[in-house]
Amino acid sequence: MECDKRFRELIDRSFVEEVSVGERQLIHDHIRDCDGCKRYLELTARTIRGLREFTFTSEPDSNAQVREILAHHTETMRQHNVQFKVWAAFAVALSMSIVGSAVVYQVAKLLTVPMHFDTAQVQAGVLVFWLLPSFCSALRLLAAPGENRGIA
Amino acid sequence: MALPMTLNTTAETETAKIARGLRERDIELLADLVERCQHRLVRYLLYLIGRREYAEDLAQETWVRVLQRGSQYNGQQRFDPWLFAIARNLAIDYLRKKRKAVQTDSLPNDPDAMLLLPSSDPSPFEAAARSEDAIRLAGQLQILSPLYREALLLRFQEDLSLPEIAQVLGAPVTTVTSRIYRGLAALRSAFEEGGDSHGV
Repeated sequence: MECDKRFRELIDRSFVEEVSVGERQLIHDHIRDCDGCKRYLELTARTIRGLREFTFTSEPDSNAQVREILAHHTETMRQHNVQFKVWAAFAVALSMSIVGSAVVYQVAKLLTVPMHFDTAQVQAGVLVFWLLPSFCSALRLLAAPGENRGIA
Repeated sequence: MALPMTLNTTAETETAKIARGLRERDIELLADLVERCQHRLVRYLLYLIGRREYAEDLAQETWVRVLQRGSQYNGQQRFDPWLFAIARNLAIDYLRKKRKAVQTDSLPNDPDAMLLLPSSDPSPFEAAARSEDAIRLAGQLQILSPLYREALLLRFQEDLSLPEIAQVLGAPVTTVTSRIYRGLAALRSAFEEGGDSHGV
């Protein structure tokens, strides 16, 4: 029957989606006179109730296991994060050391003539007073004490 | 009028709080989420893949994924559908690997089709059925298309809304609705065909 199809769709919708108060009243009024639709509504309600009656029991220590795993992963990720930051800082410091040394070398070369230095002296000066100290400072980042150390 | 607004504000605050906690990898918040969702997560995975021990393993993997990708949760929708979506993807990956390990034939490309492959394992529904109606439904659920079964369980066991189910399944809401109606029709037949000896 056409009325059945229309009302049965409405009955289904009332369980699965939201229906208006008016539609709910329509169903209520209809099933008073229509045994077919009434039975359909009852079977649908029973099916859904049955679906909710599956009772699953969980393992008692399941939550504790997951919490333990998460705590372990959190710590591992934190350590990796710290190491990454230290290595990143080292890379930046090393780059600055090399670029800075190149700039200082160029400036020192310009001063060789007025200050009567030869090239070898300038190279040695840049190496001893600029490149080596800055490189050592960069290396110190990796050898920082405790958990901030970049070298595991 | 004031009550729904209050509830809505509370819900927003709750999801925003979860999003912030996940970004900061707040272990206490994660423990709280595990307490609230682990039971449902294992149940969902068990009904997807059918084996308890693998469901437990996949649930653990899901939580690790939540920890690693927590910053991707934007806090604008509820946490549960996001969690179930991660679990579902892991379950599909697991089933794909499992099938690959036992056969070299071509595998379906559609992720949903992975769930369609028949399982020879005992039904988790029979083990979980506690009423006569549930026992009767367990048999029907076992033979029901997994796509319909999953949509039905997400709607009526996990109480997710249709848009939330669509988010989990990565399917349009219309598809989800149609799966639920078809699944419901198939399950209803368990009572229609099998006779109705019990009152409603």
